[in-house]
Amino acid sequence: MLVNDPATAHYVIDPARVDLAEEFRRNPKGPHSAELMKVLHRMRWSGEGGRFVLITLDPGRRWMLGKLPGIRGVPVESFANRIYTDITEAEWDVFRIRWKAITGQELPE
Amino acid sequence: MNTTEVLGYAWPLVVSAGEEIAFHLSSPTLRAAEARLMRVRCGDPDPAGPGLKLDDMGSAVDGQVALHHQPIHPGSFASVDGVPALGSFSFGVFLWPTRPGQDARSIAAMEGWRFGLGADGVLELAVRSATLRATRPLIEREWVFVCASYDAATGTLAVAQQSLDPQGGRDRSEAATGKAAPGLTCAGTLTLARGFDGKLDRPRLYAAALDAGTARALSEALVPPSGDPRLIAAWDFSIDQHGDVARDLSAQQLHAKLHQMPTRAVTGANWDGRSQAWTEVPWQYGAIHFHSDDMADCDWSPDLTLRIPDDWRSGFYALRLCAHTGSEPVESFVPFFLRARQPKAKLAFVAATATFLAYANSALRLDQVHAESMLEGLIVLSRDDVYLQEHRELGLSTYDTHSDGSGWCWSTAKRPILNMRPRGNTFNYVNDTHILDWLEHEGFDYDIVTDEDIHREGARLLAPYACVITGSHPEYFSKQMLDAFDAYQRAGGRHMYLGGNGFYWRIAFHPTLPATMEIRRGMGGLRTWEGEAGEHNLMFTGEPSALWRHNGRPPQRLVGVGFDAQVFDRSAAYRRLPDSFDPRAAFIFEGIGPDDPIGEKGLRGGGAAGLEVDRADATLGSSPNLLLVATADRLGTGGLPAPEELRTLHRGFGGEENARVRADMIFTPTANGGAVFATGSIAWACALSCDGYTNSAARVTGNVLRRFLDPAPFDGFES
Repeated sequence: MLVNDPATAHYVIDPARVDLAEEFRRNPKGPHSAELMKVLHRMRWSGEGGRFVLITLDPGRRWMLGKLPGIRGVPVESFANRIYTDITEAEWDVFRIRWKAITGQELPE
Repeated sequence: MNTTEVLGYAWPLVVSAGEEIAFHLSSPTLRAAEARLMRVRCGDPDPAGPGLKLDDMGSAVDGQVALHHQPIHPGSFASVDGVPALGSFSFGVFLWPTRPGQDARSIAAMEGWRFGLGADGVLELAVRSATLRATRPLIEREWVFVCASYDAATGTLAVAQQSLDPQGGRDRSEAATGKAAPGLTCAGTLTLARGFDGKLDRPRLYAAALDAGTARALSEALVPPSGDPRLIAAWDFSIDQHGDVARDLSAQQLHAKLHQMPTRAVTGANWDGRSQAWTEVPWQYGAIHFHSDDMADCDWSPDLTLRIPDDWRSGFYALRLCAHTGSEPVESFVPFFLRARQPKAKLAFVAATATFLAYANSALRLDQVHAESMLEGLIVLSRDDVYLQEHRELGLSTYDTHSDGSGWCWSTAKRPILNMRPRGNTFNYVNDTHILDWLEHEGFDYDIVTDEDIHREGARLLAPYACVITGSHPEYFSKQMLDAFDAYQRAGGRHMYLGGNGFYWRIAFHPTLPATMEIRRGMGGLRTWEGEAGEHNLMFTGEPSALWRHNGRPPQRLVGVGFDAQVFDRSAAYRRLPDSFDPRAAFIFEGIGPDDPIGEKGLRGGGAAGLEVDRADATLGSSPNLLLVATADRLGTGGLPAPEELRTLHRGFGGEENARVRADMIFTPTANGGAVFATGSIAWACALSCDGYTNSAARVTGNVLRRFLDPAPFDGFES
């Protein structure tokens, strides 16, 4: 049985490469540099730090941050204090959370 | 906006004017809702597009409708009524458990006894208050023969398990005995596999306490001696694979009723790989794969019925249900399709009901770790998705896996389908309504025909139409559907394919059950699960499934282009190619300059060429007369080719470096004045409304449609 394994994303993110985080913040939708694409693949495939999602509050206008539980039937966790009117802000928030989870180091706001 | 506080399904899913339709509704909290019957013009609430557009039909069911809660009971199993009184008994079966150790699971049970797996995956037999347990848990996805017996004379209980492959640590063979009260009897209904995940092969019930060797011999025998009076039942799951009855070969004829459509036509313990088709070696396909989350039929009672007025136009329709839960408004839709009973327009639009069913209640973005990487950004969930995460009893789509990891290979419409209705997720149904909206805006009259009607009625359903449009993503096609389109084109029909990744998977509709389709994904193609070896033929029909490309009929053969890549990060515009300046193609580009991009705007990724895209290829069947009039072949790093596009692995296959990652726009004449125009992109449909419907994609679509409705032949091509 062929299955996807989230643990297979093993690219090592260098916490000193804050320039890659800055590139993402400037241009979250890409295209991205080859190095940043590897960072994003590690984050998005592995889900380290949380498999975050956006819950639509008003289609095309307003979203709330959520987190998938990874177990069928268990409700999506939602974060009522994280409401966005711009998806790129949410992308940056999640990027920062995952950067911290993977590298152990905080990114500046 | 709450979209799920009341849910429902319409039956039948496809209806004709003059016929009756029933709405089966349920709400756990609401006691009433305001119902209105709507014709759907655009089902997409995206504020960047046309927005929701629904025409209020004014129907006899409009008004307050009382609601009640109707639960859903998922999980396939078999039941056998009328089992004669048993004192001593034995039950044996080959077993392939797929979730041992998750919860207690029943293999077989009657009033008074239960044979199954404990929560630790250990075999156990409970007779009244006595329980006998083995010691070694069964291994996931390993065949094992298991049996249980009760001797009414002595009260002796016995269980045994015999691993079919005893090597490398897989041997879990053992036997155990215990005691219960003697003299017990049972009768009535037997259930098989209730709550169980995995396969059962050749179950046998015997009115005597047999030793394990004898019980196994009974199961090894394809046809046990039916004259043995102690043989109560010997079920042969290889008979009538599409049906909901499992045949008993014994004299008792204790046929089993199958509930919630377990997966049949799966390999048995005796499958030896000599054939991949159950039709060729049916005796090796005597197993059924049961799933504790199978859901084929909610079996809800109807709450509203409506005779569709004779003068209603065909179309996408939905019952809108409005209410409030607390201060939050509720708006939930129950979709159905009104077919044109008699052709009224020259143009037909195909409601892709096979594809809608294939995607019905897709939890792909909830369950599959590749989703965020594939979509190149945070997953945006609708309220429907949030509900589905919590309410798996609705049953999932053919993109999903069951809770045991096996692929979900069929789908039905006797259940609420959250993504086939207005406000649903932006794929398939909602995207297709952008084409309907554009047709309405432009004033084109059209009829709706559905996939399933084409499947059942063939080319004669299409024949009256001068032009037929297939929408944004007609991905799932049966042989009958493909044959119908082929015949339509050969007879001079004109086909506009305004989508991407169409005509890709080979499926079948159930021979008798409406709105029920099946896919086996096989081991090729862009697939979210992979079939088990030997399980690639459809239980409904016996036909091979998987890709049409691997069945000798690539999409290019029918519509000139076929799926080559997906590109979810951004969509692109097409550029004109030399063939677009051929006088025979001039009608397509009226009002378009030689250097003008086509589809440079769009609601999905900012262009008309994106999401999933197709390319022409003569080696896959694109016709010699084909004019490759435009292409979008600079799709960037987000453009990734389909697996079947790669013969070997190498660098450079992404869209930045690989021109085979592209969307091609083509025009090709067919026989007898027919023609095909294809855009090869899912995103096309959602580009039509940009700039007040005055954009280049809309212009090209209009140019082609007007010409395709004109019966004048396309001259200048070799036949």
